[in-house]
Amino acid sequence: MTIAHVEVRAQDETSVDIAISGEIDLSNAVSVQDGVFSAITNRLLSVRIDLAGVTYLDSAGLRILFALADRLRLLQTSCIIVAPFGSPTRRVIELSGLDNLVTVDA
Amino acid sequence: MSRSVGSDNAEERLRRIEAVTDTTLAHLAVEELLEELLKRVRDILDADTATVLLVDGGGQNLIATASSGIEEEVRQGVRIRVGRGFAGRIAARREPLVLERVSPATVANPLLWQKGIQSLAGVPLVAGGELLGVLHIGRISGDPFTSRDVELLQLAADRVALATRARRSHVERAAASALQRSLLPARLPRIPGLELSARYAPGEGGSVSGDWYDVFTLPSGWLCVAIGDVVGRGLTAATVMSRMRTAMRSFAIDSADPSEALSKADRHVRHFEPQTMATIAYAMWEPSLERMHLSLAGHLAPVMAPAGGVAALAEVPIDPPVGVGSAPLRRNTTVIDVPPGATVLFYTDGLVERRHRPLDAGLKLLRDSVVSGPTETVCSTVMARLVGNDPTDDDIAVLALRRQTPEELRTMDLDVDAVPESLSDIRSALRRWLPAVGASEDDVADLLVVVGEACANAVEHAYGPRGGPLNIRLEAGEDEVRVTVKDSGNWREPRGRLRGKGTQLMRQLSDELHVEHDPHGTTVHIRRRLAGGDPP
Repeated sequence: MTIAHVEVRAQDETSVDIAISGEIDLSNAVSVQDGVFSAITNRLLSVRIDLAGVTYLDSAGLRILFALADRLRLLQTSCIIVAPFGSPTRRVIELSGLDNLVTVDA
Repeated sequence: MSRSVGSDNAEERLRRIEAVTDTTLAHLAVEELLEELLKRVRDILDADTATVLLVDGGGQNLIATASSGIEEEVRQGVRIRVGRGFAGRIAARREPLVLERVSPATVANPLLWQKGIQSLAGVPLVAGGELLGVLHIGRISGDPFTSRDVELLQLAADRVALATRARRSHVERAAASALQRSLLPARLPRIPGLELSARYAPGEGGSVSGDWYDVFTLPSGWLCVAIGDVVGRGLTAATVMSRMRTAMRSFAIDSADPSEALSKADRHVRHFEPQTMATIAYAMWEPSLERMHLSLAGHLAPVMAPAGGVAALAEVPIDPPVGVGSAPLRRNTTVIDVPPGATVLFYTDGLVERRHRPLDAGLKLLRDSVVSGPTETVCSTVMARLVGNDPTDDDIAVLALRRQTPEELRTMDLDVDAVPESLSDIRSALRRWLPAVGASEDDVADLLVVVGEACANAVEHAYGPRGGPLNIRLEAGEDEVRVTVKDSGNWREPRGRLRGKGTQLMRQLSDELHVEHDPHGTTVHIRRRLAGGDPP
């Protein structure tokens, strides 16, 4: 069973900080996407997604991040994705070209 | 109706009571046997009803178990407290009792007076000094029972008690051993990189006690191994064991380390099974299988045998068993390296404890008997040398685990269902196998994604919602890994937005990628050089 946790770590009127941990694949991508999207309102100016605790991410997880980047661009909300250097997610994100759409921090 | 009370009939009646335990009844279960016996008792004593109530496990209640002429007693599960009512008083005093006027004041069970029974006679069922229950008979006519009737009834009751006890202990033994069999894993899980074998032998005469072993994986990829012994015998110990086994699984799933799981088990036993004590060895293996985290609750330490080396008992502090004392005790977890080719043997005390042999001699013989190798051979050798033909009254459980060597692991096949739930199992297997054949952390991370994508594609596109077979073949060569992912489905082009990322990732993270679609399915060939620590 693939398990991921989505946690809203900090929140105020203009920003939200969401931490994801665990693994994301085909079997749980829909519920992870629901968790992330439902934590984001149209009032926000910036969204921070921390992937430091994610130990596996493939194209199913990338689809969530690309869809998120696309929606936030339309909402004119800035998006920062945190993926530490050397972490399993960093490499996949760099190879995917996601860093052209959103800011990727270490 | 004529009453046969004359002394000339006494002999005939006795002979018929003898028949109460004849061999034609040998094949009947307890309830059927009792029903047949009660029919005969009614007949012999001209009674309208006859009922056997047996004492329950706790000794507090009498439960209507068989009845003749008043079958609703059994159907309604009549339950009488020992000491109360007619049957309860007989059980409490262990003496016969005759009632000439049945009324709500004297009889607790309303069925008896509703039935119109006027007089009752009852005797205790005692065998080997143990109270098993009560046998009572009733007459609607109101003809009182004579002391001669009571004597005959007691005679019949003694036969009934003996037969019940013999039958019940036989049934209990059978139930306990069936329960034991159903709870021991019928097939040990297949853990890539690990070879497993087990043995279970009941004690002499087929008597089981509370030994169990269990092997299972957690969603995190950790492997859990438990072996334990609930102190006690027979059905009671076996049922407590079954609850302990389930409890250990639930504690395992949300405990970070073995001592935490055992502390929870201890708290559970002290609260829910207050009369129980159990010894447990509980180990959690890291997903890489390189290390085992072990905690012992009053259980003997496992034998560790390195490949080609001398076996020794694991040096682990032995904490108290679970269910001891009134306060939780501090428990320890020890991390033990398990090199490739090493065997770990868990066992219960029945293996090494013999009346004629000191425990230390048994443990020495065990150490001398364990040589790392195929686990089936290890188990057979240990059982042959320590048990041989020497009967023991304790049951024995043995569980051997051996880490396979890189040579054995050059190729590996994983056969799974092409359903989303399989994806994490595949990753667990890869996380074990890849480091064993020399992959670095980066190699592992990349290959997890490449193989994961290929498998996710099969899950998404090869079959309908029921899924189908998916085979993953792993081969380690000189500085490279080859993986073949094969389904036998009907490829369907991906649908939806943001697709195609997966194939792009697979190409980027592998050195060679080749996909074949044919009418028999899709095969993905992946080759990836092992960078040995330097990211490409």
